[in-house]
Amino acid sequence: MSTDLLRIVRINEEIKAVVGVAFKINIMALNAIFLAKRAGTAALGFGVLSNELRVFSQDLRTCMGGLSGLIHRCVNEVSVVLQDVRNTKLLREAVAGTSRPELGLALKRRELANGEHQARLASLRRQLQRALEDAFQLVELGGVLAKSAKIEAAYGQGFAGALAQVSGEFDGIVEEIRNSLQALQRSEFFK
Amino acid sequence: MKKTSTIYQDGDHKWVAIVRDNERPGHLIDTNEYLVMHGGKAILLDPGGAEVFPAVFSALAGEFDPSALSGIFASHQDPDICSSLALWLEFNPGMKCYVSWLWTSFIPHFGGTADTFVSIPDEGMDIALDGLTLQAVPAHYLHSSGNFHLYDRQAKILFSGDVGAALLPHGQDGLFVENFDSHIRHAEAFHKRWMGSNEAKRRWCERVAAMDIDMLCPQHGAIYRGADVRRFIDWFDGLTVGVLHG
Repeated sequence: MSTDLLRIVRINEEIKAVVGVAFKINIMALNAIFLAKRAGTAALGFGVLSNELRVFSQDLRTCMGGLSGLIHRCVNEVSVVLQDVRNTKLLREAVAGTSRPELGLALKRRELANGEHQARLASLRRQLQRALEDAFQLVELGGVLAKSAKIEAAYGQGFAGALAQVSGEFDGIVEEIRNSLQALQRSEFFK
Repeated sequence: MKKTSTIYQDGDHKWVAIVRDNERPGHLIDTNEYLVMHGGKAILLDPGGAEVFPAVFSALAGEFDPSALSGIFASHQDPDICSSLALWLEFNPGMKCYVSWLWTSFIPHFGGTADTFVSIPDEGMDIALDGLTLQAVPAHYLHSSGNFHLYDRQAKILFSGDVGAALLPHGQDGLFVENFDSHIRHAEAFHKRWMGSNEAKRRWCERVAAMDIDMLCPQHGAIYRGADVRRFIDWFDGLTVGVLHG
């Protein structure tokens, strides 16, 4: 169970990093909107996309907030199970050294409570896995938007260079989040 | 679920208070845990009891990678101080526990191996944390016979264990002392009963009065800051302790 705790801690650390990057995306989306406004008619398509990117960045933030809450509950629940494992081990050792039936009953009660905690953890595990899948889908959409923005940037005439830079950075960051989420989905914690 | 609050930050040098578990059962005394971070390392001060381990662990994980935790400082041997030790060690078996030499064969009843414990001699010692030096300050008989506080000279923070503790009623349990006179009423009975030696108290007051302290952080109750630190030391100096009633 301490391995499980280590795994969930690793996921937590990765999500904290992703949340930090997601915050950067919010600022970048704002910059893209300002840039599109400055470019005016030369960047109408980019302007539409920059608004979509802004909406995406806000959705991503909300999604990351949900993930952070869920991961916090997971860390808490794995810690509870770690407590259970230790207490159960001590009780089992005591049961092995005595013939008192009351201790056997205490162990049964303990194991019943352990089962409830395990079930709660299993449910949280499934919720986290689903939330990661949802976040991944959202980021896939962000990737499509960023790539479209890169194409639109090419039509930006005098602003093409600046627009290409902004959309390129956006695309890079979305890709970074995508890779992180993909790695998280493969975590041993879900196996 | 416990809350975290950053009470000091200068670059990567940070103090985080882990406090006020609203889901804690009423029969369990509330505890404050403090995390001191410097560089990429951290030390957890009085990690709390086994019952609050999930709440403390998950709150800490929101602030800092628990696998980079290099040690635990236990001010003394009480269960609300460090009965969670075995669980922290399950997660990070190489972690050190700094504690008075007096308790190094008692605390292993909570967990740990011979390699876990770093004995603090009676006169105190320096504890290194990735370039930061923390000082274990003697506070024996306040209340435990082998008792230490932890001073961070750079942050000007003294972690004072049970000294300064207050049993705050619900609704008056803010993180900082806001009104010293009304706050100290919740600390008086605790100090009279739990602190056993007037002589030890006097020595502690003299030692601490000479230190540069911006914040005095107890293990229960609210944090004293600014002028309230001096107010507390003066109040404690004038209090008769080791009293059963009254």
